[in-house]
Amino acid sequence: MKFGSVARVNPFKPTSKDPSGSLSRHSSGFDQFCAALQVPEGGMSVLDMSGASQANIVFLTSFGHRVSSDDIMAAMQQSFGDNFHENQQSASNAQRFLDQALAFPDNSFDGILVWDALQFLVPPLIDQVVAQFLRIMRPKGVMLTFFSASEKASTLPIYSYRITDRKTLSLTPRAAAQRIQYYNNRFVEKLFENASSVKFFLTRDHLREVLVRK
Amino acid sequence: MSSPTKSFEPDSSPVRSGSAALGKNVTIKGQIFAREDLTLDGEMEGTIECHEHRLTIGPNARVQASLKAREIIIQGSIQGNVEASDKIDIRREAKLVGDIKTSRIVIEDGAYFKGSIDISKAAPPPKVVPPPQPQPAIVPPAPSSSGPAPVIATSGSLK
Repeated sequence: MKFGSVARVNPFKPTSKDPSGSLSRHSSGFDQFCAALQVPEGGMSVLDMSGASQANIVFLTSFGHRVSSDDIMAAMQQSFGDNFHENQQSASNAQRFLDQALAFPDNSFDGILVWDALQFLVPPLIDQVVAQFLRIMRPKGVMLTFFSASEKASTLPIYSYRITDRKTLSLTPRAAAQRIQYYNNRFVEKLFENASSVKFFLTRDHLREVLVRK
Repeated sequence: MSSPTKSFEPDSSPVRSGSAALGKNVTIKGQIFAREDLTLDGEMEGTIECHEHRLTIGPNARVQASLKAREIIIQGSIQGNVEASDKIDIRREAKLVGDIKTSRIVIEDGAYFKGSIDISKAAPPPKVVPPPQPQPAIVPPAPSSSGPAPVIATSGSLK
């Protein structure tokens, strides 16, 4: 996957690493996400935007939940191509991306795993995408999203997120992209101002995990 | 000397079901109902039903159809809903856009899938309740000539 002419870099210090390049990291945000969807009878509807994977499907369906999968990063790359940031400014490209990636009915999902995709969207598209996510979430639904908390990084890695267990994620580097802007807490709060609550988890590896409740 | 006459008896062994294959140069529009394993490697538009058997969508297949089978292996491209009573196996080179309903799913890294997944566990086998054992008939003993007749209490009083 190519996101413009960007060298591969990895600003994150891995907590642990296996020879395949995957990182294993603890995630309090994902733990809270699972807690929010914990109902005895299961049957919740979860949207995983990291692309379909055996690990994520098996984990989420083991609770009796219904899982929908899509790869939002692949949809972004397909919609915006090599001029990744410039093409996002085009209204027609932006609308094509929204129609392709977020064409779900209102109130479709109890949980959405956006992972780190939002930080690769330019304003005002990022605001439109967040509005669409809130639209397709059910009342009291939860959304988990990540933002890099490293102020100095000029490029950001793009990962595939695989669920190991309720508190552990496996991150496999896919590509890298130039950073658009640094999203601090104030910006993130404003981004989700239409949600009922926003909870932050700041981790040691400079990743801001954000749990949003509709 | 005459050679012994050979007699040919019809093969009494059960007929084995084989498998059918539609190659990559085959294009079908319509419905397919299969009573054996089926491999499709061409183009298909419509529906495919392969109950109690395996359906394989080959790497060259381009399918716009809803699929139903006991087991489905996907290597090609499908646009449509897929339902397997046992298992769905999505290989690395597969591309599936549609909803899935199955008891088990295997998806290789690299496969593209967009849609929802409904895992429905197979219904447990019905409990076998043994039929009630017939109770032996209670036969009162025959009255003895040497002794008095047994007293059977009734609601009335004995006189």
